[in-house]
Amino acid sequence: MDFRPLSELERRQLIGALRGNAEQGRVLLMDRRDTSFVGTAEEVPDEEVINAIKSVPCHY
Amino acid sequence: MGLLDSETGKRRLLTVEIPVIEHYNEGRDPAYKIQVTRVGTALVLRYRLKPAHNVYLLETRLLSSYPTVPPETRVITPLKHCPHLLEGQLLCLWRQGSTREASRWDPAKFTSIFAIQAAWRWLACYELWHETGEWPLPEAK
Repeated sequence: MDFRPLSELERRQLIGALRGNAEQGRVLLMDRRDTSFVGTAEEVPDEEVINAIKSVPCHY
Repeated sequence: MGLLDSETGKRRLLTVEIPVIEHYNEGRDPAYKIQVTRVGTALVLRYRLKPAHNVYLLETRLLSSYPTVPPETRVITPLKHCPHLLEGQLLCLWRQGSTREASRWDPAKFTSIFAIQAAWRWLACYELWHETGEWPLPEAK
């Protein structure tokens, strides 16, 4: 696959979001249509919970 | 318990797994919906994820021993070899083979959608690792 890299801003946003998720439990939000990253949130409405990644118990 | 051949397994499928998969698929572009097929005694979920600009095809297998045993998720799209990637592009997610107490997979709390969300987060880490050479999240204790 031809890998399409993130821009510097996108990279900083994604690193911040992943660390906020791991360290402070902030929610990662996926786009409902195509699963792309759309941002983070403190809380998530019930209807969007299927697109919200909060406390996935991975070991990395 | 066999997922597809026991009453308990079938109840799990009908009351938990299938409804959450249908909910996940609602409003999603067709290319990103989960496709479910039966392969032998396993149920295979095929889907695409796009955490950033790249689209990945993945497969999550719910084995006969699921949900006691966590689902297995592999990326079908070829990847560069990286941390937390096992043979056959299997994602290292749940500390498989550890005791139930130490395991990060809890069958009472999680569904196959959690495996997909875990894979999404793994791929987001992969996108960053691909560019920086550093896995952005520390390994959990």
